[in-house]
Amino acid sequence: MGGQACILYGGAEFSRDTDILVVADASNLARLQAAVDDLQARVIAVPPFEGRFLQAGHAVHFRCQIPDAVGIRLDVMAKLRGLPDFETLWNRRTTLETPTETIDVLSLPDLVTAKKTQRDKDWPMIARLVEAHYARHEQAADDTARDFWLRELRSPTILIEVARSAPRVCERLRTERPLLEHAATGSKSRLVAALRAEEEVERDADRRYWAPLKRELEQLRRDR
Amino acid sequence: MIDLRSLVGDEWAEWYVLTPAQRLEESSKLWQTYLELGGSLDPEPDPQSPFYDPAEWRAVAADGRPSVHLVRRGGV
Repeated sequence: MGGQACILYGGAEFSRDTDILVVADASNLARLQAAVDDLQARVIAVPPFEGRFLQAGHAVHFRCQIPDAVGIRLDVMAKLRGLPDFETLWNRRTTLETPTETIDVLSLPDLVTAKKTQRDKDWPMIARLVEAHYARHEQAADDTARDFWLRELRSPTILIEVARSAPRVCERLRTERPLLEHAATGSKSRLVAALRAEEEVERDADRRYWAPLKRELEQLRRDR
Repeated sequence: MIDLRSLVGDEWAEWYVLTPAQRLEESSKLWQTYLELGGSLDPEPDPQSPFYDPAEWRAVAADGRPSVHLVRRGGV
């Protein structure tokens, strides 16, 4: 669901771990335990591998020891800020076929939402992910694609172009994303400032979401 | 219509039009080179991540990658 998904969708992150979203109920955690045992994976940080931590929103970090995957990190989560439960995300997932395997990843809109964090590096990635979608679908765009671009584009030039070419969709979304007013009028400097403000609101929300979880992690580290 | 090449540059424009399978293949090649050069599988230290533990990073090399060592520093 993380960096590897970004690569498939057109971002270019050099991700060194694999992020996995799971259902954190007892039977599924038993299956996950069997899978990590197969990979000879060990928990490498706090919190321990327990359902209550996953259900609270923590990530559990593993490192594989099996020879074919020695050193590979797995980060497992069951809950993502701003996103619905696993079943809904699973029903919306993207499935990609390669010559050797089938890969299920978060849908692009869900991945974009998951990337709205307090970290600097996630924001250019969001811009790249949506630009890549625009680049591949611009020629045969429908209202679903335009809706997605107008909700999520972070590139002022492209946002102004989409607002100009899809005025009805833009008008419909203006109450949900007020900065579209600047895109519709082509006011680039105001749009740039509004995009920055929009980003800051999300970063603040992410900091607030993680504050109690970080306190819990610090306590777990002290108790180790 | 926007000329994406002029907006994001040739490299990004070319990457954007690849299929997911092509991107996966290109990324795999990069991985192979990275590992052959001795690149570490540890994520880079990310102090902005909620999971960041400063104590974890004090244990590894100053550049955060145990398999790569600074042998000469120029300028700064």
